[in-house]
Amino acid sequence: MVWALLLVPLGMSGVIWLLPRGAAKAGALVGSLATLAVWVAVLAAGGLPSLDWPWIGDWGIDFHLGVDGLSLFLLGLTAVLTAAAILASPARRGRAYFFWILFLEFASIGLFLALNLFVFYIFWEAVLVPIFFLLTTEPGPRGRAAALKWLIMNLVGSLFMLVGIVAAAVYHAEATGTYSFEIGVLAHTTWPVGAVGWMMAAFLIAFAIKAPLWPLHGWMPEAYGEAPAPVTALLAGVLSKAGVYGLLRVFLPLFGPALGPIRTLLLTWAVVDLVYGALMALRQRDVKMVAAYASMSHLGMIALGIFSLTQAGVLGATFQMVAHGVMMGGLFVILGWLEETLGTRDLSQLGGYNRHLPRLSAYFLFFALAVLGLPGLPGFVGEYLILQGLVTNAVGYAVVAVIVLVVAAWYMLRLFQGAMQGPPKPPPTGSDLRSWQLAFALPLALLVLLLGVWPASITSRAAPTLYQAVGLVAGRGGVH
Amino acid sequence: MQSISAVLWPPLLGAVSIAALGGYLPKRWVGVWASLLILVSFALGVGEVGHLASLAPAARAWSETLFPFVTGFGPAVPWQLFLDPLSGVWLLVITGVGFLIHVYSIGYMGEDPGEARYFAFLNFFIFAMLLLVLAGNLVVLLIGWALVGLASYFLIGFWYERPSAVAAAKKAFVMNTLGDVGILLGLVLLYLRYHTVSYPGLFAAFSHAPVGSPFFEWTAFLLYVGAMAKSAQFPLHMWLADAMEGPTPVSALIHAATMVTAGVYLMVRIYPLLHLAPAIQGLIGDIGAFTAIFAASIAFFQQDIKKVLAYSTLSQLGYMFLGVGVGALAAGVFHFLTHAFFKALLFLAAGSVIHALGGEQDLGRMGGLGSKLPWTMAAFLVGCLAIAGIPPFSGYFSKEAILGQAFNQGHWVLWGVGVLTAGMTAFYMFRAFFLTFTGPVRDAHLHAHAHEAPGVMTVPVVLLAVLAILGGALAEPLDRWLGPTFAAWPGASSAGLQEGPLFTTVLTVGLAVVGAVVAWRLYGVRHLEAKAGIDRAPGRWMLAAWGMDTAWSWAVVEPLKATGEYLRAVVEPAVLGAVGRLGQGVLGWAEDLRPLESGYVRRYGLSILVGVGALLAYYLIRV
Repeated sequence: MVWALLLVPLGMSGVIWLLPRGAAKAGALVGSLATLAVWVAVLAAGGLPSLDWPWIGDWGIDFHLGVDGLSLFLLGLTAVLTAAAILASPARRGRAYFFWILFLEFASIGLFLALNLFVFYIFWEAVLVPIFFLLTTEPGPRGRAAALKWLIMNLVGSLFMLVGIVAAAVYHAEATGTYSFEIGVLAHTTWPVGAVGWMMAAFLIAFAIKAPLWPLHGWMPEAYGEAPAPVTALLAGVLSKAGVYGLLRVFLPLFGPALGPIRTLLLTWAVVDLVYGALMALRQRDVKMVAAYASMSHLGMIALGIFSLTQAGVLGATFQMVAHGVMMGGLFVILGWLEETLGTRDLSQLGGYNRHLPRLSAYFLFFALAVLGLPGLPGFVGEYLILQGLVTNAVGYAVVAVIVLVVAAWYMLRLFQGAMQGPPKPPPTGSDLRSWQLAFALPLALLVLLLGVWPASITSRAAPTLYQAVGLVAGRGGVH
Repeated sequence: MQSISAVLWPPLLGAVSIAALGGYLPKRWVGVWASLLILVSFALGVGEVGHLASLAPAARAWSETLFPFVTGFGPAVPWQLFLDPLSGVWLLVITGVGFLIHVYSIGYMGEDPGEARYFAFLNFFIFAMLLLVLAGNLVVLLIGWALVGLASYFLIGFWYERPSAVAAAKKAFVMNTLGDVGILLGLVLLYLRYHTVSYPGLFAAFSHAPVGSPFFEWTAFLLYVGAMAKSAQFPLHMWLADAMEGPTPVSALIHAATMVTAGVYLMVRIYPLLHLAPAIQGLIGDIGAFTAIFAASIAFFQQDIKKVLAYSTLSQLGYMFLGVGVGALAAGVFHFLTHAFFKALLFLAAGSVIHALGGEQDLGRMGGLGSKLPWTMAAFLVGCLAIAGIPPFSGYFSKEAILGQAFNQGHWVLWGVGVLTAGMTAFYMFRAFFLTFTGPVRDAHLHAHAHEAPGVMTVPVVLLAVLAILGGALAEPLDRWLGPTFAAWPGASSAGLQEGPLFTTVLTVGLAVVGAVVAWRLYGVRHLEAKAGIDRAPGRWMLAAWGMDTAWSWAVVEPLKATGEYLRAVVEPAVLGAVGRLGQGVLGWAEDLRPLESGYVRRYGLSILVGVGALLAYYLIRV
């Protein structure tokens, strides 16, 4: 099963090249839906499949992949959002585009499956490549600049992480006599007092760049702005999760016991990102930038849940990663269509199109409401759980977080109303949503609704093994 | 036995079906279909309340768990409903008055191109409001709470091409979000301590808790913030006046009769917690009384008939909170009930006026409409008498119940403010009445075209008028109905209806009569213009709502915007620039490494060879 999750998208990405140009989209869609079907089979089977192949035994490098409560729904998110992004892409994009999207799915799935730091690192690097090429989809220097910035910043982050990974293996060997890159093994290693600080910093930098978290978000505005909408949806929906996922998968298990003294610092950092993103979103003039900074603010909220070091907070962060993925993915695609239809994404030139674009408007509002955390939709659930974690031992941060929720309502409504409502404008040249666009929007909206009304579908399945994975079980860290 | 949830489904079905198919249904049928579903819901509600009534008084509480909402971090929080006599009162008012307003809307919105959208929203509102009052725990309550806010947002901004409506909708939503997060924070704190947020679970826990600990003061305060925002208590009240941008039946249903009383519902619902937080209970009474007199003063010189009614709603909500603050729970609920009748009546009658004048709301352009709209005038008069507290109209009984009890409990200041407000209320309501229906015709053109509303609008108005007249008779049954519930709560010993001393009644009614007579002298006899008194202080300040909008703007909105602007224009470029400089540094190293990438294939070949050799060596050594 685990193999199938990896090989279906990889294989289909190869098949794309054998298809006629016009069939590339259909082929990619089949590939992504097949991957989704495999994931559904994993979900339905109810187990937590894994595989562990010896690779370079002397160095403790195993090809170790596995599904658990932390990764299960992120894998589902990847499968759903990839299929949705392909659906939302126009067929005129060439084979290379669809190839890279499927390759990105393969790499992301590998990243979420990896249980060995070496394997984790390989997939961590592998996701850089497809995004680099996808950013240059639209010809022109701006896309190239955005792609270069993405690549360089993330490579720098990766280098830090590589140092951290090697250090972990070496210190483990010093302590026990054998090398290991296994996360499950390294979680029980005690790090030298002098090294633990910079090791943590190395991992944090890598994860913060990928998410991105303030102030390491330099690549974000251009990349989100220049990418075609479906690619932005994947960036904000899936790739941003890689960073916070790293915090949960690697950072908490490896450094959990050492986090006590710096917890306040980490929480403060997360809250700065949360507030900064929200206030930035409040004043942006470009619709895509409103959503980009909103997304960044939400990642701060997720980080708050993680650094609360409580079960509720971590569960909320995990749920919010999935929820944020589908909501933001939907919102970015809608904004992309808005730009296509109206020819601009400048808020000062928008407004008054509700009457001409009622369908687009309705889906726009729906996703905007989800993003602003309307109770009944999934954003609320994640925030609720994260707050439940924060009040255990960080009430002050909870207070700031809820105030930001008010700002979130403000910036999202400013975005929606600014773009769609107000005095009517002459009809645009583009049309309202067509049926192929509804084939994207409606299922995704229904999924959002399902997650909002029945979040237990995720939380009940994820919780037990999630706490195991991040090392938050009774007796280790806070329990709540 | 049927389930509680049955009442929820007809309005939800209506909202979904009209949203999906409304454009394809023949006009008129949309409204009929929407109204029918609410009637079904009302009938089911009567059945459920009837079932409740058939139980022994002490056993009148009915819980229902649908399915788990969220689990995995402690005891599960389920989708859970709860019906007891208290929620039963709201259930019947929401569906009953809701049905009448739906019917009225068939006439009022019949010409609007967005009729289908309107009824979808209206049905959605009823669903959300029922979810709110039938919730069995605070999480479900919060979901209903936010969804009524959303319905309110939709309907305030119904005419979305009007910038003022769009701005009003946003303001209402954001201010209510402030309330939502108050409740959210309150409920996570309660869950943290008690591992439950269900009412029965919490009440059981509260029964042994000490009075006045900071934990209870804080959680009660946070829930009260939610109530303040939803029920427009000072200083979170401005959105309600702006909400008048919505169609008038919406103002009647959402912004007068039902949604804005959700705060009263919540405060009564969690009274066992409030009882543990005496400071907050006191605060609720104080702010309630202040809101009552403050809003009444703003209503004095309003120029727009709907604004007068909006501020009167604020003021009457203040009375209800005053009641809760002094522990007069039954009186507070009673005032909600009569207010739902007479305020819905006033709004619908005002709606008939506005409809007759083709959308005109300015009191300065009305006058002399009584001859054209006799039924509407009679209905409005009934509403005025009821809200002014003139016996034997319904408002008299409920207002007396609150003020009498405030007096009995020794809350002299609150009582005094309430009495004074009663006189002010009579003045501004009768001012609106005389300006609208009597005196000279101020706009001949509008007057000439005015016509009485069609039957579909008149009949609901007449029914509400009957309820507004006779509603006072419900005092005794309501008290008996709610009594056992309150009796089970610690600290609610004085929650039942009480009579105050005779002189408070005489004083209140006397002041109300004085207010009405003054209004009659000024606007009915001397025919002052609507604009009279607004050109100098304090009238100018009262008209401008004491500048609270400006205060909020200066204190909160503008500073936040300025900070955002500063971040966008100054800080962000600096942050990105710093990253850029790091990038330049990287490029610098790259320059140093450039010789490695010489472009000579032989060098690349060499490095590949070395690499492969190293790998081979590794495997050989290993074997």
